[in-house]
Amino acid sequence: MENRVEYWVKIPIGPIHPALEEPEKFIITLDGERIVNVDVKLGYNLRGVEWIGMRRNYIQILYLAERMCGICSFSHNYTYSRAVEEMAGIEVPERAEYIRVIVGELERIHSHLLNLGVVGHAIGYDTVLHLGWLARERVMDLLEAIGGNRVNYSMNTIGGVRRDIEEKHKRAILEMIKYYREKVMPKIEEIFLYDPTVEARLRDAGVIPKRIAIEYSAQGPTARGSGVEKDVRYNEQLGVYPDLGIKPVTPKEFTGVIKGDVFDRMVVRVGELWQSMELIERALDQMPEGKIKAFPKDNVTLVRLKKAEGEGVGRYEAPRGELIHYVMANPGSEIPERWKMREPTFPNLFAVARALVGEQLADVPVAIASIDPCLSCTDRVAVIDAKTGKKKVLTEKDLLKASIEKTREINPNIKAKPEPVGGSCGGVR
Amino acid sequence: MNIVYLTLGLIAIYLYVSFASLLWEGIDRKLVARMQRRIGPPILQPFYDFLKLVSKESIIPRDANRLFEIAPILALASSIALLAYTPLGFEPLLATKGDVIVFIYLLGLIAFIRVMGAVSSGSPYAQIGAQREIIMLVSREVPMMLGLFAILWRLSKLGVEKPFSLGTLYQYNIWEIGTPLTVVGIFVLLLVFLLWLASEIEVGYFNIPEAETEVAEGPMAEYSGRHLALFKLSNALKEFASASLVVAIFLPWGISGHIGLTGVAAMVLDLIFHTLKVFAVLFVSMSVFRAITGRLRITQAVGMFWSRILPMSLIGVLLLIIDVLGVIS
Repeated sequence: MENRVEYWVKIPIGPIHPALEEPEKFIITLDGERIVNVDVKLGYNLRGVEWIGMRRNYIQILYLAERMCGICSFSHNYTYSRAVEEMAGIEVPERAEYIRVIVGELERIHSHLLNLGVVGHAIGYDTVLHLGWLARERVMDLLEAIGGNRVNYSMNTIGGVRRDIEEKHKRAILEMIKYYREKVMPKIEEIFLYDPTVEARLRDAGVIPKRIAIEYSAQGPTARGSGVEKDVRYNEQLGVYPDLGIKPVTPKEFTGVIKGDVFDRMVVRVGELWQSMELIERALDQMPEGKIKAFPKDNVTLVRLKKAEGEGVGRYEAPRGELIHYVMANPGSEIPERWKMREPTFPNLFAVARALVGEQLADVPVAIASIDPCLSCTDRVAVIDAKTGKKKVLTEKDLLKASIEKTREINPNIKAKPEPVGGSCGGVR
Repeated sequence: MNIVYLTLGLIAIYLYVSFASLLWEGIDRKLVARMQRRIGPPILQPFYDFLKLVSKESIIPRDANRLFEIAPILALASSIALLAYTPLGFEPLLATKGDVIVFIYLLGLIAFIRVMGAVSSGSPYAQIGAQREIIMLVSREVPMMLGLFAILWRLSKLGVEKPFSLGTLYQYNIWEIGTPLTVVGIFVLLLVFLLWLASEIEVGYFNIPEAETEVAEGPMAEYSGRHLALFKLSNALKEFASASLVVAIFLPWGISGHIGLTGVAAMVLDLIFHTLKVFAVLFVSMSVFRAITGRLRITQAVGMFWSRILPMSLIGVLLLIIDVLGVIS
């Protein structure tokens, strides 16, 4: 066996590679096309978020938490809010919980559509990517209508939500669900359940057996695709989810077997799209009237949180898996002593690296895409006028101004002047 | 005099085909974009790309040897040589006995030069891409050669003088032999050739050597600037030449005969009509195929060639043989 070693080839996939959206590094040892060993190196994307968090108060951290990831921005926000609410014992009004469910599930739809497209791209099936992302536009437009922004919608605040879902939003959501049920879902099911190309590439690729999924503590669709019935919304009886009849989705309901390969993970995502739409409909149906925030103003919340003691843990099933935020109070200060989060991508990456051994190089991009690793954020925006083709680069000041104007447009009751007050990175101290 | 005529003709064809094949790349990108509900780049984008690449600096890896720089030039030279043997609506420029063999040899040579260039770049991605290219090469040639030789053999039974020449394809039309078995056999072979064409230009199922998300453009991973521009042009010429072969076999009709033109005017008209036919074949085999399929694993692609396409080719050939031998009459 010793003399075989010299034929092995080491291929670095990453930190920058067309198959990856995030800087992470896989060193893959190949014997021909067969993978002998996979080494994962992380830490290229260290942004020091916890340190920044230690210089901000509880309300300001909300906006920082939201910017952890462009796709599950609401999930981070919600999980952090739950942690702080548990720490300070704040009761959330029931209507706010329902609105959180609706926005969370809308975000799940948009995240899963994104991932289905990315998996199509990883197997060279770019039509799936483009059509999937086209379908995703609709739900992003709706999120903009509700929250005022396509990506970081700042819906959450500690003790409730910042914006109500009104009658016109309700109508738009129901219309969108109808559009997805009739126009999008049949196509998605046709591609991901019955297309021979997709089945040939996704079946038996990146197999994570149930035992490995449990040992490596895989989360979210990765775990459910391997047959582990693990869903925080169900297991923890989170918020009002039990009233809505939540159940973990496994591929068994669609295909009858559980193999734990990429195909099964995609089937889980397709099933969760259906489930999310049902949950939104039920939530809209059962949503009670009432107030949407525990405290009318943010400074009241801060005063309350200043007195808080102890620690809190928030858990939520983000589109990629279980998300945990931990907050420890610093009595007498409006800045937390400790704020810590764990993302689902971390355990999933090692599970998938373990699963890749013995498979082919061609399975690497699709297996990595199937766990849906998180994206980083961009910091500048270029606006292009569609009619004239003119380009304008927005600075931070312009963005702040635009955001304030947008807020005023959505909620005309706010009386502040639409002028930016300094940079967003200024510390409190 | 003859040599001067040939050289000028080859240069003219080279310029025309470079233009037409780059134009097709632009049309293809636009069409695929429309199929994917995108707007797509402007039709002249490949020309802009080519000009931009030519004007840019070419980076040579430290571990690369001399062949890395020579390979693009050799590839383009082979592509131009290929054009001299390509039927473009009329007999190839250098039509002789057995030029089919030269045609197939030159097609293989271009892929081989790509592999040599990739291996000498010293990049692991290029190495994997080169391995895949060789594996694809040995799989895809067999069904195609079998089908091509069978068709030429079938035509030679009608009494042509140079049976193994591409010019033969214009003397008798394979569809007009007329017996039902031949028509069915030719249909089967048409499918084989469309799939072969897709694998020759590496799209859809067969975009395995260049798989962007797996090995980052494979053999082309280390190329940049002028060298990449030469490879791009050589690839575009190869696309056109391979599609021309399919057109010459299965769609050999010209229009100059119907209008009554002769001489140079007839050649130009036939060339333009041939270009349109090439675009039609490439539309099926490249644009549509690219839009409706993903990439296979290398094992699946090889399995497909040996267990599906080769038997398909055999069936087509057997139908032709049965027809000629008159077993069923």
